[in-house]
Amino acid sequence: MLNKIIFLLLFLTGTANAHGVGYKNSDLKAVPLEFFYSTGEKMSYCDVKIFSPVDNKFTFQTGRTDLNGRFSFIPDVNGKWLIIVNDGQGHQCNAELEINSNLNLNSEQDIKINNNNNNNLILNSVLGVSIIFNLAFIIKKRYAHK
Amino acid sequence: MHISEGILSGIALAIGWAGTLAGTYIGLKHTEPEKIVKTALLTSGFFLASLINVRFGPVATHLTLMGAMGLILGWSIFPAVLVALFLQAVLFQFGGLIVLGVNTLNMALPGLIVYLIFRGKNLFNYFMAGFISVILGGIMLSLFLWKTDENFINIIKIIMTAHIPLAILEGVITIFINRWFENA
Repeated sequence: MLNKIIFLLLFLTGTANAHGVGYKNSDLKAVPLEFFYSTGEKMSYCDVKIFSPVDNKFTFQTGRTDLNGRFSFIPDVNGKWLIIVNDGQGHQCNAELEINSNLNLNSEQDIKINNNNNNNLILNSVLGVSIIFNLAFIIKKRYAHK
Repeated sequence: MHISEGILSGIALAIGWAGTLAGTYIGLKHTEPEKIVKTALLTSGFFLASLINVRFGPVATHLTLMGAMGLILGWSIFPAVLVALFLQAVLFQFGGLIVLGVNTLNMALPGLIVYLIFRGKNLFNYFMAGFISVILGGIMLSLFLWKTDENFINIIKIIMTAHIPLAILEGVITIFINRWFENA
């Protein structure tokens, strides 16, 4: 009886595919990005979520920036990609990248970054303080008229 | 301490705006004409303080001056912080306009609380006002972020790690600012 069972197990079961793994060098070009706070500090070790143009609900890739606030990924389709970087303390950067190429990403024209950063710090600081004092002057003048 | 756009839920944003509008209304009622120049001076200080980075080991944060503003301005801290944060959002893209209500409440309410608690004019009260205002700001920030991530303990640990050294520094700065305004 036992021999019959062993026979059945050996010859009647289907073939099983082993899940081996491997790797190879790739010549695909990645899109490297650097994330930083408006004061220039690097957004180190922050959560990153990447959404592809074909699916804006499920992440294409997740991860973390490195010590220098850098992260890179390899887009697989053309279109507008959304990269969300969050430091878990209330700061979030939503970067939009327009990929228009054959995905070799060789030239700067292949990647268009929608960057709204305003780096004119000193001029804006002076402008801000000026607005505050002008506002105070107007309010004080109105009180004086009353 | 600025929360960016797109993180908080609609309810959190509504709570922030409701608190800010109520505080600003009362604050404007409490702002006497002779206090306006002082308010403008502190608003400018607050507006610029966020540009000064303070690094404690791996954590970088910025000054807030909430304690000093609270003690000197009282209820007027609400309109002062609202104007400063509005300008920071527009000129530096700190925080944002939709989240302005929450950010104002986060930074003005701690200042108001320390104003109501630490009334006496002495060095201990000045230090404690600066220290406690930053801790309260950190707790409020954690509470607002709680709903975006259920791990509240983790959030508060990260935020407090960054803010306790800042709280000590703010305590010392609050002493100097209040002393200066007393002698001015």
